[in-house]
Amino acid sequence: MAIQTRVISSTIASPWYLHQLGKFGASALLTLFALILVSAFLTPFAYSALTAIKDKEQITASARGSILPVDRVKFTYEGKEYDVVKVPFEDGVRELALFIKGRQESTFIDPADPTAEPIVWKGSWRTLEPVERLAPRWGNFAIAWQQVNFPRLIFNTLVIAVLGVIGTLLSCISVAYAFARFPIPGKRILFLILIGTIILPSQVTLVPTYTFFARIGWVGTWLPLIVPHFFANAYNVFLIRQYFLTLPRDLDEAAMIDGAGPFRILLSVIIPQSWPVIVAVALFHTVFAWNDYFMPLIYLLGKPELQPISVGIQVFNFQYGQQPHLIQATALMGLALPVLIFFMAQRVFMRGVVITGVEK
Amino acid sequence: MSKKLLLVLCLLGLALGLVPAAAQDKVQIVWFIGLGTGGAPEQREMQEKVVAAFNAANPDIELVLNVAENTVARDTLSTLIAAGNAPDIIGPVGSDGANAFGGNWLDLQPLVEKTGYNLTQWNEAAVNFYRTPEGLIGLPLATFPSMLYYRPAMFDEAGLNYPPANYGDPYVMPDGTEVEWDVDTLREIAMILTVDANGNDATMPEFDPDNIVQWGFHFQWYGEGRQIPTLWGAESLWNPETGKAQMGEAWRTGYKWFYDGMWKDHFIPTAAAEQSDALGAGNPFNSGNLAMAQSHLWYTCCLEGSEWNAAALPSYQGKWNVRLHADTFRIFKGTKHPDESFRVLTYLVGEASLDLLSVYGGMPAREQDQDEFFRRLDEKYPQGVNWEVVKQGLNYSDNPSHEAWMPNYLKARDRISAFTTLLANTPGLDVDAEIDKFLADLQAIFDEVQ
Amino acid sequence: MSLKRIQQIWGFIFLSPWIIGFLAFTLFPLAASLILSFTDYNLNRADEIHWLGFANYMKIFTDPLVGISLAATFKFALIALPLSIILPVGLAALLNAKQLKGKRILRTLFYMPYMVPVVSSVYIWQGMLNTETGWINRFLGLLGIAGPNWLNDIVWIYPALNIIGIWGIGNAFLITLAAMQGVPTELYEAATVDGAGPWGRFRNVTLPMISPVIFYNLVLSVIGLFRYFEIPYILSQGTGRPGNAQMFFNLHLYKTAFVFKEMGYGSALAWLLFAMAFIATLALFVSSRRWVYYASGDGF
Repeated sequence: MAIQTRVISSTIASPWYLHQLGKFGASALLTLFALILVSAFLTPFAYSALTAIKDKEQITASARGSILPVDRVKFTYEGKEYDVVKVPFEDGVRELALFIKGRQESTFIDPADPTAEPIVWKGSWRTLEPVERLAPRWGNFAIAWQQVNFPRLIFNTLVIAVLGVIGTLLSCISVAYAFARFPIPGKRILFLILIGTIILPSQVTLVPTYTFFARIGWVGTWLPLIVPHFFANAYNVFLIRQYFLTLPRDLDEAAMIDGAGPFRILLSVIIPQSWPVIVAVALFHTVFAWNDYFMPLIYLLGKPELQPISVGIQVFNFQYGQQPHLIQATALMGLALPVLIFFMAQRVFMRGVVITGVEK
Repeated sequence: MSKKLLLVLCLLGLALGLVPAAAQDKVQIVWFIGLGTGGAPEQREMQEKVVAAFNAANPDIELVLNVAENTVARDTLSTLIAAGNAPDIIGPVGSDGANAFGGNWLDLQPLVEKTGYNLTQWNEAAVNFYRTPEGLIGLPLATFPSMLYYRPAMFDEAGLNYPPANYGDPYVMPDGTEVEWDVDTLREIAMILTVDANGNDATMPEFDPDNIVQWGFHFQWYGEGRQIPTLWGAESLWNPETGKAQMGEAWRTGYKWFYDGMWKDHFIPTAAAEQSDALGAGNPFNSGNLAMAQSHLWYTCCLEGSEWNAAALPSYQGKWNVRLHADTFRIFKGTKHPDESFRVLTYLVGEASLDLLSVYGGMPAREQDQDEFFRRLDEKYPQGVNWEVVKQGLNYSDNPSHEAWMPNYLKARDRISAFTTLLANTPGLDVDAEIDKFLADLQAIFDEVQ
Repeated sequence: MSLKRIQQIWGFIFLSPWIIGFLAFTLFPLAASLILSFTDYNLNRADEIHWLGFANYMKIFTDPLVGISLAATFKFALIALPLSIILPVGLAALLNAKQLKGKRILRTLFYMPYMVPVVSSVYIWQGMLNTETGWINRFLGLLGIAGPNWLNDIVWIYPALNIIGIWGIGNAFLITLAAMQGVPTELYEAATVDGAGPWGRFRNVTLPMISPVIFYNLVLSVIGLFRYFEIPYILSQGTGRPGNAQMFFNLHLYKTAFVFKEMGYGSALAWLLFAMAFIATLALFVSSRRWVYYASGDGF
């Protein structure tokens, strides 16, 4: 990185301070722009996160009122709770407990002096602003944690994902290498067939595929979710091939002249130049395994101990009484690990630049 | 990730999930849940308990639970059946769900005769409900009459009397006059119970329909839509004699009442309002912003809080028609173990039924179990719900059922759903013209197979 | 043996995982669905199958929903396709900019929505886009604008679906970013020496160098449009409402095969979809010779 920066800046002929100032300004402006963009982009996350820390009543109240998880301040009078609201009088606004609701007039009790005569106020109580205080329901996460066996689910998902990533990388790199570098007869046709396999919608291949796995006794195991990935899939082969094709052949040819065989070239020439795409494919597969829902559901039906997180977190999504706050809480908890993995994986992205920048 | 950890993961994985289960000498019976209720956490827990109890008592059978989430349950079951890997027991499932898989259910009559199973534990009508041209395709488990759920506090606030506690009772207006509790009265008070953010109700000229904070009435979860006009009478959209698509004046009136309720009188939430967070994103009565809802007893599976009660549904032209759901378990026609499946089935509708029904919210079809069932419901809802009116509703249950079979059932049902969605989403329609269009399409769908 | 022959053998060795996998896992379901498309196979009557010949394919011409669903797909594609090409490139360029601070966290944040399970993300968007209480319309309300009925209007549903779609841009963005990372730095240096400004470097170095990946995104977007299903399915609860505005071709196919259980006709629709998407893909591959630059000199 340092090298390229020096090269570029030395070519710009302007006083150093102006340049520095310009650089700082551009950097600040660009970062600000990205921040605005990302805030807009993540607003739905705020919705999700806020939903996750509300209870159902707060979600309903938020529909019209504050988007934050707020509780109405209550006053307990003769064993029952009443909302405290702001009631306007000629001599100013008073905070009173709404005792009896009525359409034309309502009756209030003064929390400061509950023994006094109830106060009657004319007007619609619905127009009165309630007194609220912030009351996030952090407990939702605890409920979700108790209802959903996260350690088990995450473990299952990790095993399925890690084995799948290994399989995908081994097979897709190999196949992409074949398509990118070897003079295979009928290569174009084969490649179109490969792409063709992702076109046909899974709806119609589902039944035959399931039947096949049921016949060979793989239903009820992880095998249908892992083994096919060791035999390459079109999405990743296509992507890796596209990347390999951007690599000039000079280095391959140099290595070949040095006597390196095809394996050696793949390992020591192609792969070192391709870390960004390899990491990207590994990430995609991890995310895919994390969210793949219908396949694990039908292959692992009746085996809750083997199910991955995508299936396991659906317990709050049932007929007649969905629990939106718990759905969001579990979804956010399920997200934590992949986000962390992604954040970490970026080191490799950064390294990708340095390798390609320095090696040549 | 270190190589060691990876290796451990792989080995564990191999041991846990990669090896197909070894063959067992027990007969495995698979119980599939998801077509109806049964997916809520406390329901899952109870179902697991029931299965464990059965397996402990029956060493020769291993009963296995398969729970699929409701939205994907039909696809899942279709796949399993098509692949020849179908479950043995399916349910709880109602008539509509069962119709969707019509032709897949085992005739139980031979098994009843073979085992001498006693059918007189239910009244005859309840058993006959499951007698179809395909045979006896179910045993009675639960009935779910519909009723009027209402929130007393909202009536208090509006200065209104509660809806009648018995079928046949009049409704007492605020000025003390007694009127018939019919759909017109319901509309009148539902409009008073519909309020905007400024506190104006739907009867007032200054009412703002874009800013409603409380709604008066809804047909909560009207499914594909034949549920909606049932208050106006029992009809079938298909005439078995002539093979024609049909809709009587009663149902036309009902659909128009529903439409005007949303778009003219504003006391029924439109589809957009129903999906909003203000109405619990599709669970309106539970949200606490809806005063009255017609729904079934199964809602007690999942209705939260205790600030509600049950009342009589309104009449139309002096008659009541109370729609009824009936759910039970079914045996898949292609099961390899009909005898064992039948043993499981009789256990589920017998011994285990009360435990299951207490979480399903279904009234036992076996009359002697009903008191115990309502006692358990009273524990869950301590406010003293008027269960009597629920039982009374059975006297007016709809026949033909609104879930009745039609030719080309799945497509016909889909067309009904499109019609209902149109009503709930579109202002300014000529409902009569839409009904005629709908019936013409329905006729074409029937004719595809007739 | 000639060098070429040896290279060919090596090619097949590297290709073998896919060939074996194709024969073992893919060919059978493909063939099965093709055969079923000539039958009246119904999931509710699995034991009675009849050979229909081309009847299912003839039925396509009289099925009004075929036209309706293709029109819906086309209307959606009109906005979705350009967006799916431009946005990832723009976003990747922004997040690859040297001057930008906090790249790692920003990239993670932009990728994050892609990781949200679809069911949960549709729920979120239903909350965001609701006419009455959604955040977007509440925000527009603050500005004095009456927001549209996003999810229940036959016109606004398409912008709404595109907004939801943009949220899942993470994958395309990351692929593009990976490609930008792979552009050799000396090319930029050379361009700078030749006097190219930032735009010139982007136009003449970045774009050609990442064109293989833009091509990849384009092909997958086109195929994805034909297969577009999950979001409208969940959003409309499988109905395609409002009207038939969300009745995309693949949803029609799904309903035929799984809701109406007419697997035979559903398979015929699937092969029609296959034919259309395949021709589109083929056209893209042919056109790619003109505009996609492969540094290795190989193309399609």
